[in-house]
Amino acid sequence: MKEIKEHTISARQACVIIVMCIFANKILLLPSLMYEKSKADAIFAILILFALDLIVLPIFFKLKQLFPNEKLYNILSRKISPFLTKLIYLIFSAYFMFKALLVFSVTYVYFKQQIYQDEFLFLAIIAFIPVINHATAVGLRSFARSIELLFSIVLLGFIACLAFSLFTQLSMPIFFISNAKNFFTTIYEHTFAFGDYIFLFLIIDKIQIKKGQEKNFYFYSLLGMGLILALFFLFYSKYQITSFMHNNALADILVFSVQFNAIGRLDIIAMLTVMVITLFQLEIYNYAFSESFLSLFPKLNVYYSIAVFDILFAILYYIFIGKYEILVGSSDIWSPVPAIFINYIIPLICLIIILIELHLKKRKKKDQTYLSNKK
Amino acid sequence: MSYFNLKKKISEIKTTLNESSDFSYRCYKKNGQELGFVFLKSIIDQNLLSEAVFMPLQTFDEKITIKSLIHNIIKCADVKKIKEEDIIKEILDGRVVIITNFSKEIISIDLFKFPSRIPSEPPTSPVIQGPREGFVEDMQTNLTLLRRRLKTENLVFKTYKIGSQTQTKIVVAYLKGIANNKVVEQVVRKIKSIKTDGIVDSYYILSYLEERPNSLFKQIGNAEKPDIVTAKMLEGRVALIVDNSPIVLTVPFVLIEDLQNSNDYYTNHHYSSFVRVIRLLGLLIALVAPGIYLALQIYHYNILPLNFLITIADTTQGLPFTPFLEILFIFLLFQILYEVSLRLPSYLGLATSVVGALILGDTGVKAGLISPPGVIIVALSKIALYTIPEQASQVTILQIIFIILGGSLGLIGIVSGFVYFLNYLNELDSYGTPYLAPYSPRIPQDLKDAIFTSPVGDLKQRPKTFSPTKKERL
Amino acid sequence: MKKFFKGCLKNPMVIVFILILIFFMPIAIYSPGENKNRGVVTAVGIDKVDELYEVSLLTFIPTANQTYKDTNSVISGKGKSVADAIYKAQIAMGRKVGLAHAKTTIVNEELLKEDVATHIDYLSRVASLPENTVFICSNKTAKEVLETSKTLESNVGLKLEQLIGFNANNLYVTDTSLEAFYKGYYSDVKSSIIGYLTIMDENEVNGHATQDENNSTASSKNSDGSSDSQGSGSGNNEGENIVSQKSVEQNSTGQSSGQSEGQAGGGGQSKSTSSKQILNQGEAVLLKNGKLVQKLSIEQLNGINLLNPKALNQIVTINDVKFEDKTLSFNFRIKNKKVLTSTKFENGIPIYSAQLILGLELVEIVGEHEEIKINTEFSEITPEIAKKLDYQIKKEFTDALKVLRENKTDVIGINDKFFRENRNSYLKYIDKIKEIDNFINFVNFKLSLIIQPD
Repeated sequence: MKEIKEHTISARQACVIIVMCIFANKILLLPSLMYEKSKADAIFAILILFALDLIVLPIFFKLKQLFPNEKLYNILSRKISPFLTKLIYLIFSAYFMFKALLVFSVTYVYFKQQIYQDEFLFLAIIAFIPVINHATAVGLRSFARSIELLFSIVLLGFIACLAFSLFTQLSMPIFFISNAKNFFTTIYEHTFAFGDYIFLFLIIDKIQIKKGQEKNFYFYSLLGMGLILALFFLFYSKYQITSFMHNNALADILVFSVQFNAIGRLDIIAMLTVMVITLFQLEIYNYAFSESFLSLFPKLNVYYSIAVFDILFAILYYIFIGKYEILVGSSDIWSPVPAIFINYIIPLICLIIILIELHLKKRKKKDQTYLSNKK
Repeated sequence: MSYFNLKKKISEIKTTLNESSDFSYRCYKKNGQELGFVFLKSIIDQNLLSEAVFMPLQTFDEKITIKSLIHNIIKCADVKKIKEEDIIKEILDGRVVIITNFSKEIISIDLFKFPSRIPSEPPTSPVIQGPREGFVEDMQTNLTLLRRRLKTENLVFKTYKIGSQTQTKIVVAYLKGIANNKVVEQVVRKIKSIKTDGIVDSYYILSYLEERPNSLFKQIGNAEKPDIVTAKMLEGRVALIVDNSPIVLTVPFVLIEDLQNSNDYYTNHHYSSFVRVIRLLGLLIALVAPGIYLALQIYHYNILPLNFLITIADTTQGLPFTPFLEILFIFLLFQILYEVSLRLPSYLGLATSVVGALILGDTGVKAGLISPPGVIIVALSKIALYTIPEQASQVTILQIIFIILGGSLGLIGIVSGFVYFLNYLNELDSYGTPYLAPYSPRIPQDLKDAIFTSPVGDLKQRPKTFSPTKKERL
Repeated sequence: MKKFFKGCLKNPMVIVFILILIFFMPIAIYSPGENKNRGVVTAVGIDKVDELYEVSLLTFIPTANQTYKDTNSVISGKGKSVADAIYKAQIAMGRKVGLAHAKTTIVNEELLKEDVATHIDYLSRVASLPENTVFICSNKTAKEVLETSKTLESNVGLKLEQLIGFNANNLYVTDTSLEAFYKGYYSDVKSSIIGYLTIMDENEVNGHATQDENNSTASSKNSDGSSDSQGSGSGNNEGENIVSQKSVEQNSTGQSSGQSEGQAGGGGQSKSTSSKQILNQGEAVLLKNGKLVQKLSIEQLNGINLLNPKALNQIVTINDVKFEDKTLSFNFRIKNKKVLTSTKFENGIPIYSAQLILGLELVEIVGEHEEIKINTEFSEITPEIAKKLDYQIKKEFTDALKVLRENKTDVIGINDKFFRENRNSYLKYIDKIKEIDNFINFVNFKLSLIIQPD
């Protein structure tokens, strides 16, 4: 029986995976969606969401320190109950499934508008699915290495998009125009696009973190978040009130004003960057789905999880076929509650486990000292 | 009491060797002592035989014993006692076997000789500056070339004979204390496990050594020059020298190896870095240029600048083929010409290029069968292929795959294909070494000699990629 | 066979290769080049004629002549909506419409009588018309502009977008792109400004003053008018698509495009046999809620552009300057410009102060100037000239402002600036006056000038 290959990945590889997760769902549609309610204040909204995400990171490190080579599934089943753990993992499976669907949909809409113009759902699915399935089958180590290899190129592409957008007329976006209600509604509605560290919890046993490498995680996270913030800022600077019309932020900031049109179509940079990022994100989410699925059904092998992923993906797409905009547009209705549960409640549970574990350790130490003193 | 009936024994040997016409023997009698010399005259040095064996034998006046034969009479370096059952093997190895009627012991003398060429510059790895010696078919010469460069007791040659019919010698060469023992053990284990009747060239053992013999990708390094092999061994790699082959194999193999060229170390490192970037670019162009051209033409008109679009649209207007078939046609045309030019005698080469380039290409365009941009793109990718000739065969297959992907799925297909192959290669390990190291996984210290290179003096540590036993270059 | 499958299973690469061959190869072999099924449109024109919408597409028709020149023809379709019209044009073209390369979008004045955004919206959201296309209006139908422009390249070597592009840089200065239009349209004041092209018959042009050096004109002669193509296009008033079939045929048979230009322009629309000129007089139109409210002359546009630091090269003319007993007219060119603006509320009144630091260069003296050496004697701006310049520039600005105020069209970002700099007072003030777009009428403008010789 073939299981997902148990190889470990280095801290750097985990870091670049995190950057890919940070990019997920935020580089195309999100700036425009968030603008609708909170205008340019969306930048502050994502700042808050990023800050909430970052709080999770120390919890992850502490958990890793206390349970260095243990799976999250085992930790949770031991500390809470196996039944609840199974339930949590069921939610995990659904969560990553929908993250994959959303990434695919957003990118698909982009491709459809920008490149293919006609229907090409079939093409997109047969181009993407085998690759991400293969990545899951060969395991975390291989695709983490691939992401590591192309990371600098992706980063370069991203920065190039931002840099080229500076050639056009920009003006400072106007801040503080949305009211508190709209602002917090935006935060609530778009929680699903965040929570990027949860994948780390899922592969906690497969990451090798040497002493002192924790700061790398912060560095890469800040890099990713900084780029997203820069994208939001430049996008709002360029489009201002028409931001709601432009659904593909990374590509749209490259649409040059009249004077630059003669140079040619530089949006191919954005296109390739988006393609690579999307593929990697889908690989991550497919793997995450498989990982949680196989924890639920430990007797099955990776091929079963891939098959289930594909079937669910196809069914969900069949339901939404031709209505992928609905999938994207409705995400603010169905997504926030599970997103809050996964993004914040799970780390909170982990935090409680850590505190209990630390308390137990302390008491054990105390008992030992007491006993030795008694002796 | 006589131990051997010489005539009978010799006739036995002759029969075993199927009375081969190059089988030869000579009997020598003196004072009732008989010595039989059995050999294959095609592979021994007969002059040396008379000078180093017969002449001293004639002048020797005392009673001949095996001891005196070895120590006093025979003037050859390699004389040894052998067992009776090894007689045939020894004869086939180009040795002269001596059997006597006064002793049970049998002697074998190494008088092997066969025509060998002088080490010259191999055609596939010419250098502008640097050593021009290349390996030859004679293994002994090859070992000499290596030994001359590595004057250390740590240089180990371990010989194995493989092939029931060919009995080909395979030498595993490595530097003890530098090469990773696990790799050496693995190589030896794999070589010992080879079961075949013949090894004709070093490439015959590739599939036995590769971890995934069915893979499209090359997993074993090769070199034709002793300086390259020496450098690789100093990095902690293991070399395999196969008799009768001028190609020496090295393991473990990493992809970046083929981007590097011995010339890079004999020129300024800035220039070397530049050239390596060009090679990488060449590789990328070779891989995806036709595919991207097709993708742009079939799916992504809207991302082409208008002027470029006009050129392509005008030139492809009225072609009888769809873009995919056009590119495939030009591709096959080039491949056929390439095969022809390889096999044609050199004096016909010019004719081929005239027919190929001028008549087929130019007339094809004028006849409206193929378009000029198509010819340019395929030609460019085919020329770029030879920036890294070592990878030419597999890249050609990949070109076809990317042409199909580009033609059917557009840019998404190409990017997906690229990521697929990347994932595949990242899973591929060659003797415990990641295939795409030092970039994935990133090994910072090895980046000094990857695409960008530092001066040789700065390379104070052996590449961590190959997990050498001794890390410092001292 | 079994062995073969077993071998394949051992080797995933072979499986991948076979899958690629089975699934992808047929698609690849079958797929024609996109030029076979998609027409490359380089300019779009939308007209409203007789309650019907007519979309004209300046389409590039590839010809196998290897001259690498774009041979264009205008293909049009009429319908009850823009989408319908494009659909008709698509049928006429025999290909799908690809708007990704469209660099110009032209509408006629008639269309601007209703909210133009509703029509353009379809193009940019659904039909992928890029938002960086130049968006302009014309006095005649957009179709005529496209037909006339078709010959520009062969006759004058000038493309339509270049003709307008020059002005976009030097005259309108504010972007005349679709995006700029949307920005104005979706702003609180719902006002935007777009460029304007005039089509004139040659005899009209001759009578027209063209001495203004900012004007760029390009003419093209329609050799034989449109009478030839009436067979296919004339009399189509019931919403049928009108296409210059003849021109398409001629192009496809490889005849020189020059011959077909005249016919291509036909479509039963223009009956005139005289040659036409596209005249760019640097004019623009003001739009409010997507509807045309006022046409701006070049002087008015210059007045608006005074506050735009990027707007250079404008000519300021002052008359009746006395110099050594002579009365002369001086033409100055604005060579560089610095604009310092500030907003404040003083006693509840919004005040917009702008200080213009202009570097002027004397370019021409009209009058008796035989003995005058420009470089020496006029390098300094005398108090009298300065005074006159001050008056002239302020007058131009006031005139322009008057137009903006009358139409309640704040295209110079007054509201935006007040909002950014005095948000609370501004919002209170807006609450008070109720009408956000009328704000410009309540603002006190203070313009001060510092004039320096260049």
